[in-house]
Amino acid sequence: MSVIEAEKLTRKFGDFEALKGVSLSVEKGEFFGLLGPNGAGKTTLVRILTGQLEPSSGKASTMGTGPEDPIGIKRKIGIVPEAESPPTFLTAREFLELVCRIRQVPDAGSKVAHWLDFFQISEKKDVLCRDLSKGQRQKVMLAAAFIHEPELLILDEPFINLDPIFQKRLREYLWSVTASGRTVFMCSHILEIVEKLCTRVAVINQGRIVAQGKLDEIRQNEGEGLEDIFMRLVEGDGENGGEGRKGS
Amino acid sequence: MGRNGPSVHWPLFKAMLREEWRLHKSFVGAVGSGFFPVVIFLFSFVLAATSPVLLRKLDMSLVLLVLHLSAVLYGLGVGALAQIGEQVMTRRLGSVNMLLQLPVLQPVSFRSMMGIFYVKDAVFYILYSIIPLVGGIAAAIPVTKITPAGAGLLFVTVLITFMMGMALSFLLSALMLRSKAAAGALALFVVALVLLVRPLGVLVPGQVLLPLGYWETHDILYLLSGTALALLLSAAAVLLMKERFAPPERRYASALLDTEKRFTFSGGLSTLVAKEWLELRRSGALGPVFTGFLGPLLGIYAVIWIFRSGLGMPLEFNVVFYGGILGFLGLMTYSWLTNIEPNEFLNVQPVGVDQVVRAKLVLYFLLTTPVSLVYLVVIGILNREYAYLPLAALVGLSTMVYVAAVTGRMTGLRANTMLFDAAVLGRFSAAIVPPLIVCTLASFMLRTAFWPASAVLAALSAGLLVASGRLLAGIGPRWARSPFGI
Repeated sequence: MSVIEAEKLTRKFGDFEALKGVSLSVEKGEFFGLLGPNGAGKTTLVRILTGQLEPSSGKASTMGTGPEDPIGIKRKIGIVPEAESPPTFLTAREFLELVCRIRQVPDAGSKVAHWLDFFQISEKKDVLCRDLSKGQRQKVMLAAAFIHEPELLILDEPFINLDPIFQKRLREYLWSVTASGRTVFMCSHILEIVEKLCTRVAVINQGRIVAQGKLDEIRQNEGEGLEDIFMRLVEGDGENGGEGRKGS
Repeated sequence: MGRNGPSVHWPLFKAMLREEWRLHKSFVGAVGSGFFPVVIFLFSFVLAATSPVLLRKLDMSLVLLVLHLSAVLYGLGVGALAQIGEQVMTRRLGSVNMLLQLPVLQPVSFRSMMGIFYVKDAVFYILYSIIPLVGGIAAAIPVTKITPAGAGLLFVTVLITFMMGMALSFLLSALMLRSKAAAGALALFVVALVLLVRPLGVLVPGQVLLPLGYWETHDILYLLSGTALALLLSAAAVLLMKERFAPPERRYASALLDTEKRFTFSGGLSTLVAKEWLELRRSGALGPVFTGFLGPLLGIYAVIWIFRSGLGMPLEFNVVFYGGILGFLGLMTYSWLTNIEPNEFLNVQPVGVDQVVRAKLVLYFLLTTPVSLVYLVVIGILNREYAYLPLAALVGLSTMVYVAAVTGRMTGLRANTMLFDAAVLGRFSAAIVPPLIVCTLASFMLRTAFWPASAVLAALSAGLLVASGRLLAGIGPRWARSPFGI
């Protein structure tokens, strides 16, 4: 069962075409990685899939809901945006309480306490978010995406600003998410993490998906690592675009 | 950057000026930004061109006083740059990064950057507002008795007055970062000076607004001392800027859920209203929000009082008139409320911009209604117009609801920037000005034709409330799918 479907998606910003006919699908229970160089169109695609942006043409569906119902999409999923931006004048605890109220999360008090504890920011729970460090703000944003235990997590660079200890903790948590049958869709530049975590990947370059499938399926040679694959696709024939290489 | 000279300052100044223009364009687009000075030019031209008629009733000294008072208030409004500087340096200005942040990583001093930033802001606002304002007056030279020399002189005195206001505001904001007590003392000193002019009458306005003193005495010393004062205050403000800012850590016990209980009457909006209230209090904007509403209300009463008592002009502004203008002044309050938090974090939550607009409108009414009612009752008592009070309350509340609904519908969460867009400003004026005129004229008729005027005002209020209902219902379709952020 597909939780994400995109078909011939395009998105223009004035004369600039950020997405040029992107098609992909993500199945329930997958750990899906979206890779691409800076400006390739990753964040634009994520913003369409999370209801933050409407496509110029094409179809998209996230958990069965299209971009025409942005609130409906956001209600069903958890999102970590590219840039951490928790509220300026609320404390970390209040922000998580606010998210629980907006999403009508039952047993909110214990869930807030759990996630503050998970990210080891209980000590900072009463500090205004604007006065937290970047890493702490990223932890607050991650907690806000996880707290309602959604069936689908869409994460844009979730490991950014996290120290190695919390990168490991987050990896383990995301593994447990997919192990329980839920789905993770992640954009990341950290190829090592993507290689370790993702069951399937897509590579986007200049607004086109140039390859998608399991790593084995898009690998050309035995022993070719994700970095080699990425460099080959992006530096090599990335401009060919179109359908690119398809895996399964 | 103390050792760096003009070779560095000049390129930085030019880059900052470009940045300011692009920031404006990002808010309302190139056409909207470019049209704003044109609107100011046309407005001042029309006023100047009709001045031969206006000046039959008004004294020239009063016109000059109002012009210079406006210039100093405008300067005060745009000059609080130290707070902006501190917020940029501590990375608390939402997603906006500015050149002012360069000293964080580059070998330039923050003090110098603030000096350049100040000069840039002064030049920008002079080009954007002061020159079009005086330009409009100059353009009316062929059809009035205004002389080119008079227009030139007016430009100089208004410019110096604006710079005095801007420098004072900059100094106050810089002092606030060092010592709130010192800033308070300076503010009290300024208030004392104003009180010495009115109502005590110990000083004349030109002894405080120095460039105005030139018009009263034709002594060039007033212009020189005004210029020196502006330079001195701004230099002091730059010197007061700190080079480094310690990262702050403000703590609050969790208050969202308790606050939410206080707003349960707002139904499904109670969580968002509570959030808005906490942000308003903690951002320090509650004071400016109140003074931004109450200040103009008191100001209008004071101006009318001066016209009536001081100048002996028989003006019949009754309490219903004040009721009518209440709503129209509430615009500032709503604008403030939309300027506290960009709410970018809500882009990934199931919340629409329309819901936050409604939450802000709830807070707007909670803040302004008690102030408005007390204001009307006090004026009713002072004017002994007890019979007019119910009508004044009806007119006041309906205009408040109407203006808030128009503003929310047309500008969403970007009131303070979208109203710089000439197209939005035009539509806004078309919606607001006609009812204001009807309300003002009907209030003037009350004394001579009470029942017909009351009927007009009641019908107007009912019409405004019906229109408000439709406008409020339209907030959802208009804003639900818009993104949060500045």
